[in-house]
Amino acid sequence: MVNGMTRREFVRKGLTIVAMGATAPSFLTRTALAMGHPFDLAQVTSRPGVPDDHVLVVVQMGGGNDGLNTLVPFADDAYYRARPRLAIPRGQVIRLNDELGLHPRMTAFKELYDRGAAAIIQGVGYPNPSRSHFKSMEIWQSADPDGRTLRVGWIGRYFDSKCPSCEVPFAGVNVGPTMPLAMRSEGGRAVTLESPDAFQWMPSLEGSGAREELELFKILNAPAPNEPGTIDFLRHTAMNAVISSEQIRDAVRRYRGGVEYPATRFAASLRLIAQMIAGRLPTKVYYAHMTGFDTHAAQQGAHDALLEQLSTGVAAFLRDLEAQGNAERVLVVAFSEFGRRVAENGSGGTDHGTAAPVFVFGPRVRPGLHGRHPSLTDLVDADLRHHVDFRSVYATILERWLGADPAAILGAPFERVPFLA
Amino acid sequence: MQQALAKFVPSASEPWDRARAAHLLNRAGFGGRPEEIDRVVRMGMDAAVDELMAFDRVPETLAPPDFSAVRAAWAATTALTPANSTEQQRFEARVAAQRLDNQKLQELREWWTAHMIRTRRPLQERMVLFWHGLLVSGRPEVRLSETLYIQNALFRRMALGNYKTLVLEICRDPAMLQYLDNESNRKGRPNENFARELLELFTLGLGHYTEQDVKEAARAFTGWTRRGTAFFFDARQHDDGPKTFLGRTGNLDGGDIVDIVFAQPAAARFLPRRLFEAFAYMRPEEEVTEALAEVFRASNFEVAPVVRAVLTSRAFYSPRAMRTQVKSPVQLVVGAVRQLGLEDPPLAPLVRAMDLMGQALFIPPHVGGWPRGESWITTSTLLARYNFSGLLLTGGMPGVARRAALPPALPPAAARACEAARTAGEVVDRLVDRLAVGGLGPDRRGALVGALGATDAAAPFALDGAESERRVRSTLHLLMCTPEYQLA
Repeated sequence: MVNGMTRREFVRKGLTIVAMGATAPSFLTRTALAMGHPFDLAQVTSRPGVPDDHVLVVVQMGGGNDGLNTLVPFADDAYYRARPRLAIPRGQVIRLNDELGLHPRMTAFKELYDRGAAAIIQGVGYPNPSRSHFKSMEIWQSADPDGRTLRVGWIGRYFDSKCPSCEVPFAGVNVGPTMPLAMRSEGGRAVTLESPDAFQWMPSLEGSGAREELELFKILNAPAPNEPGTIDFLRHTAMNAVISSEQIRDAVRRYRGGVEYPATRFAASLRLIAQMIAGRLPTKVYYAHMTGFDTHAAQQGAHDALLEQLSTGVAAFLRDLEAQGNAERVLVVAFSEFGRRVAENGSGGTDHGTAAPVFVFGPRVRPGLHGRHPSLTDLVDADLRHHVDFRSVYATILERWLGADPAAILGAPFERVPFLA
Repeated sequence: MQQALAKFVPSASEPWDRARAAHLLNRAGFGGRPEEIDRVVRMGMDAAVDELMAFDRVPETLAPPDFSAVRAAWAATTALTPANSTEQQRFEARVAAQRLDNQKLQELREWWTAHMIRTRRPLQERMVLFWHGLLVSGRPEVRLSETLYIQNALFRRMALGNYKTLVLEICRDPAMLQYLDNESNRKGRPNENFARELLELFTLGLGHYTEQDVKEAARAFTGWTRRGTAFFFDARQHDDGPKTFLGRTGNLDGGDIVDIVFAQPAAARFLPRRLFEAFAYMRPEEEVTEALAEVFRASNFEVAPVVRAVLTSRAFYSPRAMRTQVKSPVQLVVGAVRQLGLEDPPLAPLVRAMDLMGQALFIPPHVGGWPRGESWITTSTLLARYNFSGLLLTGGMPGVARRAALPPALPPAAARACEAARTAGEVVDRLVDRLAVGGLGPDRRGALVGALGATDAAAPFALDGAESERRVRSTLHLLMCTPEYQLA
């Protein structure tokens, strides 16, 4: 139940938009309105001082990022004792202050940091941490360590809270293979795509035959009352796909940025997101994925490359947004389901751990280091203690970037972290 | 057996009919053609389940891919040492071997796909797919594609075998040793990756062990490594000190860990629940799991009795089970090719299409395996699933292949369906039957009749030339682009 409505009511309400699609050519009326004036749909005014055109980009570093080799405590001998093979040599660390610095492959990150466009929140985690990828990712995405609301995620609950422009079926856009739990909502307000070219339904016929076929397709896929849950879900998804595909492809087609991106899958995702932002889609939250952080063996090399990909990808993305004039509208947050064990293992890798840093990017962040670095000697089961609850990071973003009420979405008032004013 | 798992007994109100026979063939294989469904109706449930399960009696030849060249390429890389080569030479040899191995992997993906399309042992292949999604290994962590073949053959050999034996085999499996890093799990600084997933994802599930148990189990598996494509026990790297695992203390090794794991009540419930979910429906009632666990324990962890209990249960033929399963991409693709009677389809596009739908064979998303149930469906994968029918019918699909100037011939099964029909309504009925699409309401059927260019179902229809062929193709495409066709 969200705001006293059941899922079915929510879905039906959503379907008044799509169901019309089967019969009326003007089925996009409300969505089209949103396209012309992206924020006319605001039914709930945001918190004063928070502009309605803010966009959030979430980057998921899947697998468990080794925080200690990302933000390196190079002045701490305990770090070098715990990691005879994997520790970053003192001389190679990109220093941020006298104690902490970045991995040597994060030069692009350091440039953002120096320009005031990057913040690092140290030692983020939660009580009684799970070392299971799946459980811990579920906890981060649902923002609910007790597992009460596993059907919907923290961003999905934000959509359900009637955020401005969240009426459109693509209030959330996930660029990647599977829809993250974080974006799942009662109202089904998020779509997934990987490439705009493949994001369209192709009729078998061409010309006028194709148009007729599309009309029949809509009849076959239009939702109807009292159908079994899975069929209903499939119809809803099909109609969302068809509505979104045209508009997203249109938005992407209009923008030809001149900014060069690195040749990685992650950078390609960010480039696609930049195109959608340039196309002024009314999307509030984009989600991008990196994988491969589960470095149990032969970490060196693999982890180095990932940190470089993160840094150069985000740097290119922010350059692109600046060129568009959209940088001020966008906040990027990068997280991982856990950090890794303090001590390295015998495979040249690290096993699952606990607290790790979260990264926030954008010209509007309060740059620098936030929170304090976890001690490498005061450990729990050989793992780091967290000092910042990840829900505090979410609460700060929800309130100060998205203008929502964090307590209503997260179930409790969490302390804010001052990485946003 | 407990009431929860009562056997299905046909009655006047619940007869052994085409719907139930089709359901059995959908779930215990890749779907049945109308004539196969009729045959299963005549056989009766017990005989049909017996036949599906006794696949060893069905002769089947399966030539493995030839790995000799790639084996030689890898051997060449190990023959090069700093003494007899430059760093550049060693690097180039590794690149050449990896490139050849990547080609082999693609060949292996196509080989398995072809086998699933042609097999006369559908339940065996469904089980191989099930094991691949449960005891997960794959690229990029597994660098030697031959070891993925060896694992695939293990799953085929043990398809309905003993689960405890299979788990022990997977602990020694060269692909798994690479995938979860146990090959470098050494005494003194153990690697926990395999031990953790063995407990969490393969046998017990979260909540049935502690973090300390993971650490101790990891020690027990130290030294379990491989040489090339074979298991090797490296005694020098094995920690033979005392360990305490799930309350048992001793000089435990990997085999002891498996023994202790299977003595846990949770181990008896874990696999039966997963099997029930794969065949019947998600989130079964607690009593169903308990009843299956009893069967599993009583047989000392044999898989076959559990599968038989599921496939012959009332629950399996209940409304909660029938036509409620979202087909996996492999089910969808292999099923469609079989239903349409496509003899020799080009395999690379089929494999690519499954990739786009989220099921890349031998390249699983993570150790948790494939999505299940509704998680298969996103706006992106649903469009890929819908466009896949365009691949079969028009030769093209976004992200896979451009449409040919001339569409391919109408699939044989579709042409045959039209020959036997005289009216547009009959054509639609036959196509619906051929594709085993259930639950299409009259309005939606009307849309399909419209796609044939007819205003009502009684209008005559004949397949006589290019225009009528275009219309049949369009009807078939629309039929495959329905939510109903996504379910089995």
